[in-house]
Amino acid sequence: MSPMTTIILPARIDSLPRGLALVVEWATAAGFLPQRVMEIELAVEEALANICLYAYPDSRGEVEVRCMQDETRHFSIELIDSGIPFDMLARPAPDFTGDAAQRPIGGLGIPLIRALMDNATYHREGAQNILRLTALLPL
Amino acid sequence: MELQIEDIANVRLIHIEGRIDHTTVQSFQDLLLPRLTDCTGETKKALLDLSGVSYMISGGWRVLVLAVRQCQRQQGEMVLAALSPFLQKIYPMTHFDTVFKVFATIPAALEHLSPTAASLYSGAE
Repeated sequence: MSPMTTIILPARIDSLPRGLALVVEWATAAGFLPQRVMEIELAVEEALANICLYAYPDSRGEVEVRCMQDETRHFSIELIDSGIPFDMLARPAPDFTGDAAQRPIGGLGIPLIRALMDNATYHREGAQNILRLTALLPL
Repeated sequence: MELQIEDIANVRLIHIEGRIDHTTVQSFQDLLLPRLTDCTGETKKALLDLSGVSYMISGGWRVLVLAVRQCQRQQGEMVLAALSPFLQKIYPMTHFDTVFKVFATIPAALEHLSPTAASLYSGAE
């Protein structure tokens, strides 16, 4: 799998529109339908926001958004930062079964990422967190 | 994003338009919650028209939960209607079906909330 395009941004919430514009542009060019492009955008927005909010608790840092496509219809977005080790996918899902009135109202972002993408993986490589979100192109 | 508000008999119909993302979600909360403070009991019920919401992050659902809980604290009622295609896809993933009452159309929601308002409603949809 070779990188198609990549952008490096300050890990701040106001970087989101720039990173998401790139993802939308490449997902559209890759051949996803508009509704699917928005679903991919939502998953990436949730993940990227988490990185901007939590990867660098005591300092400023960067986040890289890398879009790539291989020959087997896999379109992947890698989000790469050099912050503290942080596997957002390992966070427990909210309890959906309890009393609705008592249910905590946060924590929806990660379940949405899992539900919207065909695959989501995390690994730590050296000093970097690498979150890979993959969507399968329709035949 | 923007809100358009119609009071029809004892129903406040709030049309929500646009994208709710990280750049707009705080405005969404700041615009919506004050519009619900007088939604109490039978005097005023709230109906949120979501047909114009093209995109919404998890934080937008959080605002909707805050809104419905605010209404419940006031012994009021708030329902959702006319979810856009995007929201229809996302809604089952949120597992919020025990938190919200959702209606397919504005008239169906009005029938539930207030037959008087339903008979007065002349919306295009």
